[in-house]
Amino acid sequence: MKTIILMTWKELLRKRVMLLTLLLTILFLAAFWFLAKTLGHEANSYSGFDPNGGQAIVQRFSIGSFTLMLGFFFGSFVIAFLSIFSSFSSVAGEAEQGVFQALLPRPVPRWHWYAGRWVGYVSLGAAYALLLFAAIVVITGLYAAVPRDAASLVKAYLLFASAVPLLVSVSMLGSCYFSALGNGVFMTMLYGGGWLGGMIEKVVSSLPLEEPVLRSLSTITGLLSLAMPVDGLQRKMLDALFHLKELQGLISLGDGPLGLFGGQIPSGLFVWYAVAYMAAALALGLRAFRRKDF
Amino acid sequence: MTTAAIDAVGLTKEYDNGRGCRDVTLAVGKGEAFGFLGPNGAGKSTFVKMLVGLMTPTRGEARLLGEPIGSLAAKRYIGYLPELYRYQEWLTGEEVVQLHARLCGVDRATAARRIPELLAEVGIGLRGRDRVKHYSKGMQQRLGLACALVSDPPIVFLDEPSSALDPIGRMEVRALLERLKERGKTIFLNSHLLEDVEVLCDRMALLNNGEVLRQGKVSEMLQERVRWRFRVSGFAPVLLTWLREETGLPVTLAEESGRMPAGAGVADAVWLEAELENEEQVGWLNALIVGQGMTLYEAMPIKERLEEWFMSAVSGLSHRGERG
Repeated sequence: MKTIILMTWKELLRKRVMLLTLLLTILFLAAFWFLAKTLGHEANSYSGFDPNGGQAIVQRFSIGSFTLMLGFFFGSFVIAFLSIFSSFSSVAGEAEQGVFQALLPRPVPRWHWYAGRWVGYVSLGAAYALLLFAAIVVITGLYAAVPRDAASLVKAYLLFASAVPLLVSVSMLGSCYFSALGNGVFMTMLYGGGWLGGMIEKVVSSLPLEEPVLRSLSTITGLLSLAMPVDGLQRKMLDALFHLKELQGLISLGDGPLGLFGGQIPSGLFVWYAVAYMAAALALGLRAFRRKDF
Repeated sequence: MTTAAIDAVGLTKEYDNGRGCRDVTLAVGKGEAFGFLGPNGAGKSTFVKMLVGLMTPTRGEARLLGEPIGSLAAKRYIGYLPELYRYQEWLTGEEVVQLHARLCGVDRATAARRIPELLAEVGIGLRGRDRVKHYSKGMQQRLGLACALVSDPPIVFLDEPSSALDPIGRMEVRALLERLKERGKTIFLNSHLLEDVEVLCDRMALLNNGEVLRQGKVSEMLQERVRWRFRVSGFAPVLLTWLREETGLPVTLAEESGRMPAGAGVADAVWLEAELENEEQVGWLNALIVGQGMTLYEAMPIKERLEEWFMSAVSGLSHRGERG
């Protein structure tokens, strides 16, 4: 399996997937640096409070939280698309090109192939997520207050990066059944559906709607979150980082009609659901790949 | 009892469209070169894919050196050059062969020694350090051969091994296959290049519509049809009709079929060709020719080429509407 993992890493590096992603990430981080600096100066130059007073600290934390959330909002998109586009053709694409014709008759169990590819994609994706997560926190921390609790940061990173194994598992499963192009479209729409569900929830939470309408929308968003739990996991990540319930009323996080940070915070059970969802997708993919004719 | 290198019994693969491979039973001995022939769509590649573990049979079973197909033990015995394939374009040729060596469990020292030798043997040589995306189709086919042979397997499956090669490349591949045969490898050759099959293979099978129609030794199958050629003079077209009616045999004027030149040295000599039911009919036909006032200069058997045998077998199927 080690050979297959190394092959996957080499593929992502040689195809310049990682290089391109890193270059664009540098551009994003430069823009984000500018944003964090501007927002940070705004907080520091606010003359309404005593610079060392409680309100100033709250203001700095509020600005820091807002900046971090903006960074993670973008970051979650990047790691989602990196996960999808690195793996969406892993089975179908290689079958269409004829790569498997020469490789699968080799004396390697088929599940090694599948698991090796999975580990390869997930490990690189998770490493990239760590880099992005750390960069966002460090840049924000230069100009505003950020959470420094190690446990919260680790938990938030794990939730942030959990999109990688989840999306790779579903993407590879889809690749066993659909063509490369079809699977790319399917995954983009599935991820988009989950994201849309999250957005509807955020918007709905800040609109004065009647109870029946709220219930219907809640059912729709719940179903979309169950179909693709990534957006829910990102909201859970923000909660792990900022302890949003405890902060309610203390700081403002942009809960306007188009606020990024509204909506319900998923329960711990939802995280277990996401773990089971990922495990099921991985197991079904392994099963499909073992039985597939090439 | 010695174990056959390839032993398939009733191997069947059914596709939804009704095609595939039906009830294929054949055995290939160790060290034998076996040709697998058939028109396009006959099911040859499907059969090979089942043997190498790319497809699961619907029914039947097969073993490679006693190990069930699809098992890791069976896969350790094989090298496979597929018909339609591509290697990882982002790797160099050398890295592709190294990857295959590692997957086959070839140790580093052996791989380091064998890979340059193999690349030189298949004609890639120093271009092994180029990325595969810069390889022509012929180069990729040579690379495929190197990958198939890197673990020094006892059984080699080759699906159209020289279809993308130029004439020199074909000669080189044929020479390579002859060397493999001399080294005692079992070769299963699926090819439309019938000349290669004829020169290299000991036995062959003809597959059509997913079923094995004929199998046996190449030399015996090529002698199944008894065809003779007679050089005669004093020939008149009416005599040809008479010979056909008298013997009931397909007697033809060779010039009509464009196969043979007229007899050299005799102004009015022509070649007659006849497909006989047995060798005994040669004397009878000789007597009839001479009895009709023609002069018989020589009579000789025609050695049939595999291409002619194949065309005859396939056109027979096509006339009976059996072609797939």
